[in-house]
Amino acid sequence: MEKLNVTVNGQLMSVDVNPAIRLVDFLRGQLLLTGTKTGCGKGECGACTVIMNGKSVTSCLIPVMRAEGAVIETIEGLAKGETLHPLQEEFIDKGAIQCGFCTPGMIMSAKALLDKDDNPSSEAVREALSGNICRCTGYVKIEEAVMAAAAKMRKGG
Amino acid sequence: MANYVGKNIPRNDGFDKATGLGVFTHDVTMPHMLFAKVLRSPHAHARVISIDTSAAEALPGVKAVCTYQNTTKKRFNASTAAMITIPCDEPVRDQLVFTDRPLYIGDEIAAVAAETGEIAAKAVKLIKVEYEILPAVYDPLEALKLDAPKVQPEFQSEMFGAPICMDDDPTQLIHPKYNNICGKVIEFGIGDIAQGFKEAEVIVEVDLQLPRVKQCQMETHAAIASYKANGILEVISTTQTPHPTKMILAYALDLPESKVRVSNPPYVGGGFGVRIGMSGKAEVIAAVLSMKALRPVKLVYTREEDFTASDTRHGGYLLCKLGAKYDGTFVAIDTTAWLNTGAYATFGVELPGVLGACGTAGAYRIPNLHYKGFPVYTNQQTAGAFRGFGTPQGTAIVEAAVDKMACALQMDPLELRKKNTSKPEDRGFFPFPIGSVGVNECIDKAAAAIGWNEKRGRNQSGHIRRGVGLAIATHVSNAAPFCVDYDSIVLWIEQDGSLHISSGIPEIGPGSTTGVIQVACDLVGVPFATTVMQFGDTASSPFDIGSHASRTIYTVSQVLAEVAPKLRQSIFEYAAAHLEVSAEQLDMVDGIISGGGKEITLKELAYQAHLNGKQFLVSGNKVPPNSLPWCAQAAEVEVDMELGLIKVLKIVAAHDVGKAVNPRLCEGQIEGAALMGVGYALKEEMVYEVGTGFYNNGLHRYMLATANDRPEIVPILVESNDPAGVFGMKGLGEVGLNAILPAIFSAVEDAVGVRFNVAPITPSRFLAGMKPFA
Repeated sequence: MEKLNVTVNGQLMSVDVNPAIRLVDFLRGQLLLTGTKTGCGKGECGACTVIMNGKSVTSCLIPVMRAEGAVIETIEGLAKGETLHPLQEEFIDKGAIQCGFCTPGMIMSAKALLDKDDNPSSEAVREALSGNICRCTGYVKIEEAVMAAAAKMRKGG
Repeated sequence: MANYVGKNIPRNDGFDKATGLGVFTHDVTMPHMLFAKVLRSPHAHARVISIDTSAAEALPGVKAVCTYQNTTKKRFNASTAAMITIPCDEPVRDQLVFTDRPLYIGDEIAAVAAETGEIAAKAVKLIKVEYEILPAVYDPLEALKLDAPKVQPEFQSEMFGAPICMDDDPTQLIHPKYNNICGKVIEFGIGDIAQGFKEAEVIVEVDLQLPRVKQCQMETHAAIASYKANGILEVISTTQTPHPTKMILAYALDLPESKVRVSNPPYVGGGFGVRIGMSGKAEVIAAVLSMKALRPVKLVYTREEDFTASDTRHGGYLLCKLGAKYDGTFVAIDTTAWLNTGAYATFGVELPGVLGACGTAGAYRIPNLHYKGFPVYTNQQTAGAFRGFGTPQGTAIVEAAVDKMACALQMDPLELRKKNTSKPEDRGFFPFPIGSVGVNECIDKAAAAIGWNEKRGRNQSGHIRRGVGLAIATHVSNAAPFCVDYDSIVLWIEQDGSLHISSGIPEIGPGSTTGVIQVACDLVGVPFATTVMQFGDTASSPFDIGSHASRTIYTVSQVLAEVAPKLRQSIFEYAAAHLEVSAEQLDMVDGIISGGGKEITLKELAYQAHLNGKQFLVSGNKVPPNSLPWCAQAAEVEVDMELGLIKVLKIVAAHDVGKAVNPRLCEGQIEGAALMGVGYALKEEMVYEVGTGFYNNGLHRYMLATANDRPEIVPILVESNDPAGVFGMKGLGEVGLNAILPAIFSAVEDAVGVRFNVAPITPSRFLAGMKPFA
């Protein structure tokens, strides 16, 4: 076991971890943050996407000790109390969710983009989401939801 | 009337799924739980000479090791084909939990349950297996030959060659002998095919080779089985059919169905047909390990296992001959399909039937029709159900024939189609009225939206060329009467007037539970906001056959339409006494009961009833009618003649949905299916390498479309108001994939003048195919 200092969803923690595991195993297995999914375990599907130090990363490819000192955001950290993040609201409202397995990773990839650019082109949205596979939606309503969330965020929503 | 049907109500599971709080099977842990790992055959066909599990069993942390030696040898069928096949057909039960004669690379030899996944994986590597390698066969046309290795000698059915029930003259069918037929050859027809071709003035023939493709649902197969020594087995899994999966487990493990519970937790990360029945074999493998260890056992398939050891779509070869009069009237069609069933049957017998019925006999009025489908065992992984269930394959070949006929007759392909599409009074092959037919309206709308008149036949030269194509398709709204299909539900009013719906359907993604609640609220007359639905659990709901065959909202609505009036009647009778009016005077809208100048909320009435020991509760079940959904799908492509790259610029998918219960959910089904169809036409293909198995053992090697690759997709909803559907609705989930491939092939033909007959049209195939015309 090694000591890991990490901030997850705003909470600084100092925990003992097995250094041989991946960040996704730490989040899902140790913190029970199962909103982050595993679809392939090889960084190919994006279901395990979280934001680490402001960048979207596939947490199945990150050895847990690489998170030392890092600030991690997962899907569970997005809502403020009972108020959903605009991305969550728009994913629900625009029909961007079907089976829902890709949704957390998709939203985290979108958030990493909108945190830097709240007025992205549709090309930028597609590029930001291109590491996240969705087999249900054809991506149409996902893109609509991200654009609508961006508009809402520009208005301060 | 309708308050909720027809509206874009956001799906009721959106909050759970957008917040990460919704639970999927992968997320479930149980007290005292063990983790499982499977040992799979590295050989396509072999016999296990010896197996030594002693080192694995001795590894600390290992709690159970199962092989064919210490588990049941009862054969089963892991798909619901085992439980829905109507006599006189017999389901083919050819699977074992573990085998000593593996039939494909990936076949299950043994499994281990241990304290951690790492220990289980290590233990699997310690199992020593000695194999005798046997000759194998991979291609259905090779496997049919009499000297080919026999894949399933004991299941080359005695019934081989017998006609299916619907055939009206079984005596005339004398088949040549073939090898490796799974179950039987499916053959049927209407009219007189020989006479039909005699009457034909123009005859065209086309052939087509279609690949295996994979569902690629995002959550890999998984199950947690918990067997206790009191004989109760509880399974949480990714199945899209909880009740039939309970039946299959009870059958395979010789347990009473009352002691087996199968549930989703409640969400399932997609299905697309891959788990109609068991999720691969996750449920039964976890169950036998749990029965040995007497602890809960969790088995999660890796993506590689999901890719290489669970059902795919059927690939194979198709041939079609179409005859018409000079004026374009179709008079005869004869289609043959040779399908690669793989190592085990699952839906091997049923699927060729649907390919023929919906794919080749569905969309057009053709008086003389003949179809023959060969399900052929090979030493590859099993092919089973995948969105469309044979109809995409049938549609692909028939639409190719129709395009060729249009060319031969020098007719506009859309005019030729519209002249021959089925009419509401037609039965064709179907043993039920086909319902409303909005397909010609779909053709017109799709053609207009793709710009058919301006863009078709541009006769371009140069190295970038564009073309447009259009194809049509149908499917079904459920599986009846071809297979067992019914749904049972219980409705009750809670003590505060909220409606509770209990149904055995799962929610695998389409929004079935949202749509069902919309329908129920309108039929009962209560608010959406306070209505809840229990789903995906055999312990808390009566029987339902599961989410497949585009049936879920359609079929549950049929039962709701039967029981909702009974629930209203019991409410009105109680309210009549309470309000001192007659029950006939009363109506209820959005939970407010009124009539005869009186009014009371259902909330108030339900509580009054509660105080008097009364609850409003009804139940019912029903075999649904059926009707055909329709679509016309158009594609515009851009072809790079030098690089062989085909880019789909736009897809227009016009769908006759009968009535859109929730238009946004309908669009979601159409858009997702369209992109799946684009992959089927141009990218997706399971490539087999002899000796190692499928090259595509993961997403990286399968190349699914990403957000960057998708074309513009325009869904168009046509509402033809089907007479049999509740509120006029029809099924929708599958048909959206059915015509995309032939529409794209037609668009490529329009751009470059060559009709390709092998899918997918990869750049190398394109360049090779164009060489003769260079």
